[in-house]
Amino acid sequence: MSVLVIGGSGYLGAAIVSACQRRGLDTLVLSRQGGSGLSHEVKGDVLRPGLGLSITDADLVRAEVTEVVLTFGSVDWGLSPAQAQAIHASGTANTLAFLRGLPSLRQAVHISSLLVLGDSEQRVSNRDLFVGQRFRNWYEYGKYRAERQVRDASDLPIGSVRFGPIIGSDPLGRPISVTHGLLAALPTLVGGWPVHLDEGGEFDSWVTDVASAAKVVVTALTEPIGRETWTWYDPERPTMRQVLTDMCRGWGTVPRIIDAPSLRRVNRWLAPRIGLPAELLPYCAPWLSLHADVLDSVPQPWPIPDRDYAFATGASARTGPASTAAPQARCRR
Amino acid sequence: MDQALTSVDTDLHPHFRVFSAGNFGEVAPQRLSPMSWSLVGEPMERGTRELARRLWGSAPWATGSHFVFVGYLGCRPYHNLAAYCHLARSIPGLEPDDVTRAYFEGIAPPPDLKALRPPPLRRAFGARSLLAELAQVGDRLRCLEQRVAELERGVREAQVVDSALARYGVLRDAEAVLDDAWALHILTTSALVPLRAMQRRTYDRLIAHGDEIAHELNRPRELVWDRLHAASRAQGDYGPGGFISTSFYEVADSLDPWAGFTVRHRRDGATRPARSTGSTGSIEPAEAVASMLPKWRSRVVQAMSTTVSDTMAAREHSKSLAMRMLHVHRLLLPSLAADLGLSDGAWTYLLRREMSEIPLRPELQHRVDARRSACERALATPMPEHLDLSDGRGDIRPWQAEHTSTQRGVAPGVGTGVALQDHDEVPDEPIIIVCTSADADIAPLLPLAEGVLCERGSEFSHIAILSREYSVPCVVGYRDVSQIPPGAAVSINGTTGEVNIHAP
Repeated sequence: MSVLVIGGSGYLGAAIVSACQRRGLDTLVLSRQGGSGLSHEVKGDVLRPGLGLSITDADLVRAEVTEVVLTFGSVDWGLSPAQAQAIHASGTANTLAFLRGLPSLRQAVHISSLLVLGDSEQRVSNRDLFVGQRFRNWYEYGKYRAERQVRDASDLPIGSVRFGPIIGSDPLGRPISVTHGLLAALPTLVGGWPVHLDEGGEFDSWVTDVASAAKVVVTALTEPIGRETWTWYDPERPTMRQVLTDMCRGWGTVPRIIDAPSLRRVNRWLAPRIGLPAELLPYCAPWLSLHADVLDSVPQPWPIPDRDYAFATGASARTGPASTAAPQARCRR
Repeated sequence: MDQALTSVDTDLHPHFRVFSAGNFGEVAPQRLSPMSWSLVGEPMERGTRELARRLWGSAPWATGSHFVFVGYLGCRPYHNLAAYCHLARSIPGLEPDDVTRAYFEGIAPPPDLKALRPPPLRRAFGARSLLAELAQVGDRLRCLEQRVAELERGVREAQVVDSALARYGVLRDAEAVLDDAWALHILTTSALVPLRAMQRRTYDRLIAHGDEIAHELNRPRELVWDRLHAASRAQGDYGPGGFISTSFYEVADSLDPWAGFTVRHRRDGATRPARSTGSTGSIEPAEAVASMLPKWRSRVVQAMSTTVSDTMAAREHSKSLAMRMLHVHRLLLPSLAADLGLSDGAWTYLLRREMSEIPLRPELQHRVDARRSACERALATPMPEHLDLSDGRGDIRPWQAEHTSTQRGVAPGVGTGVALQDHDEVPDEPIIIVCTSADADIAPLLPLAEGVLCERGSEFSHIAILSREYSVPCVVGYRDVSQIPPGAAVSINGTTGEVNIHAP
């Protein structure tokens, strides 16, 4: 089995490559820059014809690859419509076209997100994709379009695995970026600013750690997943308050999470002034409601998340340049 | 290039003397016969003057025996860039750059003549009047289409009964209809610029990434071209789409020397199934925007994009009617010339008005020889894309724009496929149409294409509007179209204007 990990130099991609190698699988990483040092690597770009591979690399991929993981894209909730659709929708369309030219393809896995379901009001299952949801931002819409295309590619052996926010130390030891996704709240929280969360943050965070997420992807390749959709999150179901508190613990602080509905009205005005990105505001309320059996699609035994991975996330955010925003937020007070 | 202008040229405006082929350059032949000019430029001039008069009153600068808004120089049709930029300054909140971006490939505008600007109150009333006129466009288009259809029927009947009198009747009746078609085209073309500027400013205040969202939302729901192409296939020369198989703008497209300048882009894509434009249940970006915004913001955003999109559709509709009227003349004029005993092709050197007056003033036909010589000289003179005649001596100098246009996306999305040049066979794989310029006659190919890469074009070019309707990404202003090897893999980003070429 030879696995092509498209976007394998990224945060989750690198973890998937490590997990594959631990299972004894040959891996090949496709990335724009290269340089992860984890595996044999080819340069490419999902927005270019033929994924931008050189003739030699394209021949190599066609000759050897039997499994593919699609884990490219940016987890940036502030993406513009063009960026979101280019990387997620057009990138996926290009990749699916490329997969059709792989003669030995047995299984492909598309990394999706629970956020494709937007802020749907009903309880959703793995089967659901369009449930009349509203999208909070273009990232959610881009991921929705990507999963839609994967589901429509009925001629390909490709399934999707949906994750919530993925946290934990970077598998390559790189500093964790606190500019995108849930981690973008970190500078404001460690700066000591009070942040309103509905119900005081006592709602499901749907987070998981990067190592167990990678193991689920490898299971999806080896079982294999077929054309199904799986969902994975930490079975312990930590609440948002717990996750944020643990992450701030890595900074030696306790976040000031409050339940003040009156703040909702002024949040748009207030958020940028305390360093909280506006795109995080829609996530201050419970995200979505999942059927209790969504995890059952993942074959047992389930991977066990790393111990105290939220704390490790906060701690590793301190170690690199990406963490400099936090002291600034503190200074403003 | 210091060469005196030839005698077929239109008189120059005393103040506005910077010209640009602009939108003409994208879709019309490089040179037009005098007859075609009289069917295109003259009614456009009348229509624009009349519009300016209704909006801002009878300003002295917009009157006179010379042409103000268009020009026919060296047999090449031009827009008067200086005059249009002056019009832009007559609308509150609008800048000349808005006009050049919309229709003149982003070239630099000429200097302002502040003394000729209308006072602020007049400008405000002008903007209000423009919106009021826009509200009437739908009804006017419907009425006009009926009148065009009657004339199309009239010319066919006149040919069947072979009656010179009937032909003259059609020629007489056609004048007002042709004027109305061009007047509506001018109105919708002009209105798009302030509407888009207003949309840009409103979106910037209401939503993040406003300009990109406007790109996504400004899609005409239905353009007239589909109907006309279908009619062309089903009814041939006897339906309203009869003009589709001819070249646009030039009525003497089968006669020398004009045939050598005609532009035909038409491609037949009926042999291949259309590309998949999405799946059942897929949510379009417009719906996604609506779901992201609070109700009142969503309503404002949708209303503005609907207005812009409907005006785009109206612009295409009015152009189709003008092209149908040109086709009426294309069918009519050779027979009329035979009725008048004019030598072969002589009618192409006359103006429409002269042709209709020859029965009463036969001496007009003696102008043909002098004008033919003038045209021969003009056709031998290279005419630049942008023309600066402001020195007053009539020397031909290119307009030295401060910045040159760059490639830019005019219809959003990312497309990847094999380059399809003008005369290539349509391959059985995803294609990117690669062309120097494009007009509505390319419409049958668009459902098959993953994108369009065009050398010429602006934000509101016809190809940009068509690409939006078909949800096909489009990049214009790409200068190296001729360098793209056949079969190259091309990817384009219709939002950022990024283009990647991979040689086969």
